[in-house]
Amino acid sequence: MRLRSHLAKIRGLGSARAGTEEFISQRLTAIALIPLLLWFVTALISLAGADYDTAVEWIRRPVVTTFLILLILVLFHHAHSGLREVLEDYIHHEIIKTIAMVSMKFLIITITVGSVLAILRIALGN
Amino acid sequence: MTTTPPSPLSPHLQIYKPQLTSLMSITHRATGIFLSLGTLVLVYWLMSIAAGPSVYQHAQQLLHTWPSLLLLFAWSFSLFYHLCNGIRHLFWDAGYGFTLKATYRSGYLVIAATLLLTTTAWITAFVINGVL
Amino acid sequence: MAKFTLPPHSVIQKGHTVNHLDNPQHPKKFIIYRWDPNTGGQPRTDTYEIDLAHCGPMVLDALLKIKNEIDSTLTFRRSCREGICGSCAMNIDGTNTLACTKAIADIKGPVKIYPLPHLEIMRDLVPDLTYFYSQYASIKPWIQVHTALPPDHEMLQSKQDRAKLDGLYECILCACCSTSCPSYWWNGDRYLGPAILLQAYRWIMDSRDEDTGERLDNLEDPFRLYRCHTIMNCTNTCPKGLNPAKAIAEIKKMLVQRR
Repeated sequence: MRLRSHLAKIRGLGSARAGTEEFISQRLTAIALIPLLLWFVTALISLAGADYDTAVEWIRRPVVTTFLILLILVLFHHAHSGLREVLEDYIHHEIIKTIAMVSMKFLIITITVGSVLAILRIALGN
Repeated sequence: MTTTPPSPLSPHLQIYKPQLTSLMSITHRATGIFLSLGTLVLVYWLMSIAAGPSVYQHAQQLLHTWPSLLLLFAWSFSLFYHLCNGIRHLFWDAGYGFTLKATYRSGYLVIAATLLLTTTAWITAFVINGVL
Repeated sequence: MAKFTLPPHSVIQKGHTVNHLDNPQHPKKFIIYRWDPNTGGQPRTDTYEIDLAHCGPMVLDALLKIKNEIDSTLTFRRSCREGICGSCAMNIDGTNTLACTKAIADIKGPVKIYPLPHLEIMRDLVPDLTYFYSQYASIKPWIQVHTALPPDHEMLQSKQDRAKLDGLYECILCACCSTSCPSYWWNGDRYLGPAILLQAYRWIMDSRDEDTGERLDNLEDPFRLYRCHTIMNCTNTCPKGLNPAKAIAEIKKMLVQRR
């Protein structure tokens, strides 16, 4: 026999009044990724089996450098949003969830910085 | 007072009929996760260029082995599926296509487009590479 | 971790075949989930055979025939027998629907009947819906006003404003949609689910209500609303032909709009 209704648990700590920002940015990055990825995939296909100098020459073109960096930034932002949702859905243990989220976030930031640095080194290097 | 036995939880995944709606949705999630893992390879490829011709050569050899090409195929399929289904999601977010008829139609369209784009991409790649 | 497998005490055992018919004209097997709180143990599935030549057309007719003539211990909720009360909501042939409006002829092979998914079972096909009802109460399903109510007549509403409630007011709170949603399975304690969100939208869309902002504030939460990933199982299963997925999308659009 229940002593109280479930209402207190459902009302919980109140509404977080958040979530719309993530919703909007996920859709914005998705829209941006449509042309960026179509461009990137087409370029990759035309570069299939290309030698080192061709690849470097291609990346050095200012337009390509710009869009490559944009692709990396937008792609990893979108991936982070998506993976965050997955972790939120399936992990319910608060401490494990926090560790997983923070680790994922740090990993993505590190890879993003590393990738942008690699592109810049190729574009501005010898 | 006698203790009552714990109530069972009614079955869910075990008995719920798989439908286009739920199957395409979980595939969207699975391809998203697989794509995220694949970006690590993309990053590896970029860093190999930055590291110089010999490192790049080694990376190219690694990426052209049969297991790598198979994974690349899976990754490209995932990319096109996630892209096309993503566009379907964007239409939903704008409020369009919510009838069951439109949902099923757009779903089949996404599957067809994915197959078309994947085969076109790979045939083109093989033609350019001189394999075909 | 979200549990994709059933907890040990919920695993279904094979039950027994309860009856056999001699010379049935049109035999049909019904495989039904059973659990008795008095005996406890694991739930099981019992098999019944009935002659459709002497049975009404709907699954509820079959359930009542089984209860009346074969096994009176079979327990299920039912009331109106015409698809308006929502009592007989259950999982039939893999999807959630009302037993009283599901035609037996639409099902090939044996009819598998389970309770609504991922809910605590009180007995046989009867789930505990009290949490679901509390979630409904939490969205304050009544008109809230800040202006004085007219003393001598009702709050008036134009035909166009009333039309905005079509597709929303018809919900019978049967819980078919919410219990078909995998997100509600994994996060039903914090996610409100399609049924409740459809009703929340019904009150947001009511022109007589003056608390739209507060209603939206209470929904704007990563769990209460944003566990919806547009899986669309809800609209697929609604026995009344309603569209909870669309209602949820409209709520999200309003939240974007007001920024």
